[in-house]
Amino acid sequence: MRSVEINGRRHSVDAPDEMPLLWVLRDLLGFTGTKYGCGAGQCGACSVLEDGRAVRSCQLPLAATAGHGYVTVEALDTHAAGRALRQAWLELDVAQCGYCQPGFLIAAADLIARRPQPTDAEIDGAFAAHLCRCGTYPRLRQAVRLAAATLRSTTVAPGS
Amino acid sequence: MTTRRQFLQTAGAATGLLLTFRWTPAAEADGNAASQALAPNGWLRIGPDGSVELTVGKSEIGQGVRTSLTMILAEELGARWSAVSVRQASPGPEFQRLGTGGSGSVMWGWANLRLAGAQAREMLLTVAARRWGVPLADCEATDGVVRHAASGRSAAFGELAVEAGGLPAPVAPALRPLRSGGILGSRRVRVDARAIADGSAIYGVDVRRPGQLYASIERPPTIGGRLLGYDAAAVRRLPGVVDVVQIPEGIAVIATNSWQAMSARSRLEARWDPGPHAAFDSRDFTAELRQAATRPGVVTRRDGRGTDDLGALPHRLEAIYEYPFFAHAALEPMNATALVERDAAGERCTLWVPTQTPNGVQSRVAERLGIALERVEVQVTLSGGGFGRRLHWDYALEAASVARAAPGRPVQVLWTRSDDYRHGYFQSASAHRLVAGWDDNGTPRAWGHRKVSALHNARGGAPTAEELADPIYLRDSSWGVYDVPYAIANLQTEYVPRPTHVPIGPWRAVYAPSSIFARECFVDELAVALRADPIELRLRLLAGPSTLAAGDLRIDRARLRKLLEALRERSGWGAALPAGRGRGVACEVYDGDTHVGYVAEVTVEPGPTGRIRVDRLIAVIDAGLVVNPSGAEQQVDSGVAWSLSSLFGGAVEFREGRATAANFNDVPVLRCAGMPAVEAHFMPDDRERPFGLGEPTVATVVPAVLNAVFAASGRRIRRLPVANG
Repeated sequence: MRSVEINGRRHSVDAPDEMPLLWVLRDLLGFTGTKYGCGAGQCGACSVLEDGRAVRSCQLPLAATAGHGYVTVEALDTHAAGRALRQAWLELDVAQCGYCQPGFLIAAADLIARRPQPTDAEIDGAFAAHLCRCGTYPRLRQAVRLAAATLRSTTVAPGS
Repeated sequence: MTTRRQFLQTAGAATGLLLTFRWTPAAEADGNAASQALAPNGWLRIGPDGSVELTVGKSEIGQGVRTSLTMILAEELGARWSAVSVRQASPGPEFQRLGTGGSGSVMWGWANLRLAGAQAREMLLTVAARRWGVPLADCEATDGVVRHAASGRSAAFGELAVEAGGLPAPVAPALRPLRSGGILGSRRVRVDARAIADGSAIYGVDVRRPGQLYASIERPPTIGGRLLGYDAAAVRRLPGVVDVVQIPEGIAVIATNSWQAMSARSRLEARWDPGPHAAFDSRDFTAELRQAATRPGVVTRRDGRGTDDLGALPHRLEAIYEYPFFAHAALEPMNATALVERDAAGERCTLWVPTQTPNGVQSRVAERLGIALERVEVQVTLSGGGFGRRLHWDYALEAASVARAAPGRPVQVLWTRSDDYRHGYFQSASAHRLVAGWDDNGTPRAWGHRKVSALHNARGGAPTAEELADPIYLRDSSWGVYDVPYAIANLQTEYVPRPTHVPIGPWRAVYAPSSIFARECFVDELAVALRADPIELRLRLLAGPSTLAAGDLRIDRARLRKLLEALRERSGWGAALPAGRGRGVACEVYDGDTHVGYVAEVTVEPGPTGRIRVDRLIAVIDAGLVVNPSGAEQQVDSGVAWSLSSLFGGAVEFREGRATAANFNDVPVLRCAGMPAVEAHFMPDDRERPFGLGEPTVATVVPAVLNAVFAASGRRIRRLPVANG
């Protein structure tokens, strides 16, 4: 039995050490917002935040999750950046089929936390190993800029 | 009370879609509150609480259909947008011809949904007018409320719905005149956007039912391979494994989660007979296509003397264009969840499937299991991309077979990415031979376009021998070839069907991409040879009679001309560009309806293989009435991304009877950094109805870019994909 922290809560899971977090999330814990696309770290659909940094959950064995906290797309609204991103995604009507979008939202949350005013090159860089077959790229860039701007204009008290 | 049904049927586009409206009076209500509602048909329900529920039989595969169809209904009905919700139809007696393809959903749904909306509106107005003792004509419905302006009276839809449900549906209600400022033509965020952004949207892979199991299937590594044996006993002992079963498609490992199913599958040690296609190599096929392009084919169109007199013309041009195999590579891998149960009447099967062909799934699963159609229920989920791949039911059949081995337990069959590349229904490779001849005045006098390719048959299986010899069948399978809009007195188009070992299926834009690539690049070659501006030349070639009959299509040359003029202006066509940069153009009339043109701007680094950067694409599109500008612009972004993926490295190769691609890195798809700036302009609507966008935005991108590459560098590229390292 292992314990893994997802979205601020600890979950006990009975699974092999080498089972990737992706499948723990999707098949054991019911967090299906995190998607399977390639199983090889090539598409980014399975991205989750690990202590605030975007990681590929399909490449992350359960044993390696000890001592870390994970946030999935379902809980992005618990962070100011995540709320700003969701709002921007809706305002700009970013998604098409939508399957890749959780991964992009996670990557964007990581990016704007580190870069309050990301350039297009930085956005492209953050999305370099992500993939969207529908071609939402122009709106993805726009939405990241919009969310970052919203975040900058929102005064957030320290520790809130 | 008798049930009165009125069937209104509209035959659909190429895929043969049919919308059936069933009208059921509210007298069938069973007395509980929920059914005390206006339910004029199987598609639309207005509740006593004012909620408006539209049931659509169109699959959402990213094209925004759940939003655009709802908008059409809401506008006609006069509903409040926030009160409208959309439900996914399942196959059944009312829904016998569900299907999504051919860019036909909005085009063919338009009349049906407007009629349904107008009928329901008139029923609501009738009730209000009676209650108030005023003429119906003085009442109007807007924003979910019926109003009588003179008396200031009003009633919300919910207050009228139950009584309106008792009225007969009017047969020919007046349609609302088209107006600006309403729901149609306004920017609407797609109805599933919120669920997508918070991770709650349910795709096929997200179906979770009580007691669910997960399966992964080992299939023959070669096309048509045959199973010789495998090690079931060892795999059955692996952790999490519930069962190992053989099904027609391969060996399924059923486990308590997907990962254990996939892991255990890799230990099957299956042995295969490579089968009849084991020698297939796509390089040989490409050479074969090229060779076949030099021999005559079945004539699909002949104007004047065709290409008979080409040799007598003083100036001639000839080129062969080559196009590879492509996979769909939808990001959500193929999957289906099935539950087989047994009751007194025998087996029944429930499926949850991301599919473009719900009825196809229903009937094929019934056939596979040997049970009656009505014993198969199909729930359609959201699809993580479709692109034509989900017009096949293969993965649903697998799920049904596997679920039969675990009765009473839902089983989800999930493909890996490698499965997806290895077991696709591919866009066929093709070769195109183009010829043109002109006189000393620079007037083109002859045009020939011969396409050599394998054909798909969306009905399943390969085309029959009769079909392959039938000029009409071949004509209708060669959009972009026979419907060439240009007025050249002597013109001949031909098709050489060339069967292949690779399973072929519909791909986004179906037959158009390879043909339009070849045709529009060759027009550019002709412009260069004639020292003509590429837009000028096209305008000149479109100056003939304004309507051209090509097969069943009516090509509107005047409309395409107008579009090119707009494109010239919008793109700043004549403005100078620095060295190493260039502009290119391409245009087409997609399947006779949507008119589309792109201008591409590229930068090409020096050298024979200098890196190409696509800077900008300007689209001008005439798709009639644009229902949702936000969704329409998305389809342009999407067409651009799809095409650029095919241009730069997205092809699939076959060696020894198998696809060499195993994952995304083997067939580069467009990433964010490669996406150019895209501008979409829509021509003002003068046809008063919408036309398709999902496919029409695709095919002209590649030739526009390649023509720009030529303008920038003098490099003429006639073969896809282009290495761009």
